[in-house]
Amino acid sequence: MNRRSLTIVLLALGVGVALLATSFLVAQRWCARHVTSSADDLDWLRQEFRLSDAELARVRELHDGYMPQCAVMCKEIAAKKRELETALAGATNVTATAEGKLAELGALRVRCQTQMLRHFAEVSQAMPAEQGRRYLAEMQRITLGFHEQIEQSMSQSPAHEHGHH
Amino acid sequence: MRCNHKCRVWFDSSNTGQRCSNNTTTIMNEPMSSPEETKLRTLLREARPSAELPPRFQENVWRRIERADESATFASRASWLDALAAWILRPQLAFALAAVLVLAGLVLGWNSGERSARSEAQARYLSAVAPNTLH
Repeated sequence: MNRRSLTIVLLALGVGVALLATSFLVAQRWCARHVTSSADDLDWLRQEFRLSDAELARVRELHDGYMPQCAVMCKEIAAKKRELETALAGATNVTATAEGKLAELGALRVRCQTQMLRHFAEVSQAMPAEQGRRYLAEMQRITLGFHEQIEQSMSQSPAHEHGHH
Repeated sequence: MRCNHKCRVWFDSSNTGQRCSNNTTTIMNEPMSSPEETKLRTLLREARPSAELPPRFQENVWRRIERADESATFASRASWLDALAAWILRPQLAFALAAVLVLAGLVLGWNSGERSARSEAQARYLSAVAPNTLH
């Protein structure tokens, strides 16, 4: 076999791979830098649901109105979690106080989740009908799906089969 | 007609008559042989040495055939590589190939960058409206 030919073919292959990889990385970084340069939280909504400026302005208004409520809920939940941790600290059993804190935390989470879903519904109504439906379905899938996954994994696990302990 | 240089072979009458017909070995000018001549011929034929085949002759023949096949394959592979190398070294083709690779890399990179940017933007929105405290 001709050594020179083999060297040429291998060299060409190497150059080809290097060209492909370099152009891939350059384009990827350039795109990531320019597309995500905006620090706007609503950038995803504008791109994904192709919102017009007027629609985006309405969504932004709703978003800005919701954010302080969300922050308040987050603070309340965080405070309740700390209270629960304090109630559980050092205890070998679930005390009545801890149980009460758990119930309060649960109620807070329900309120927060309800408020969040209400906000998603409002935002979806500010979008064109089809995009609004898609947005609402996507947000419900993402925010509620997490809990569904946990519940499903628990019900599938043999250690959590109720009635078989 | 007789051949002039006494090869005792007839001219090929169908072939323009310019040369001896060497393909034919039949001696046409001889009369049918006498019994002595026949005997002599038989003796000569029998006296012709018949060389004995060396040991493992057939096996060696096959081996040589196989080796010849292998070297032919090797040669064809080498010629294929030579042709490929020559093809790559054509400047127009090399530039075209390089351009295609760069273009493919740019398109793939752009798609990948766009996908990751979109997923980052989605994560940013979600972290704003659905904080982790819920999970």
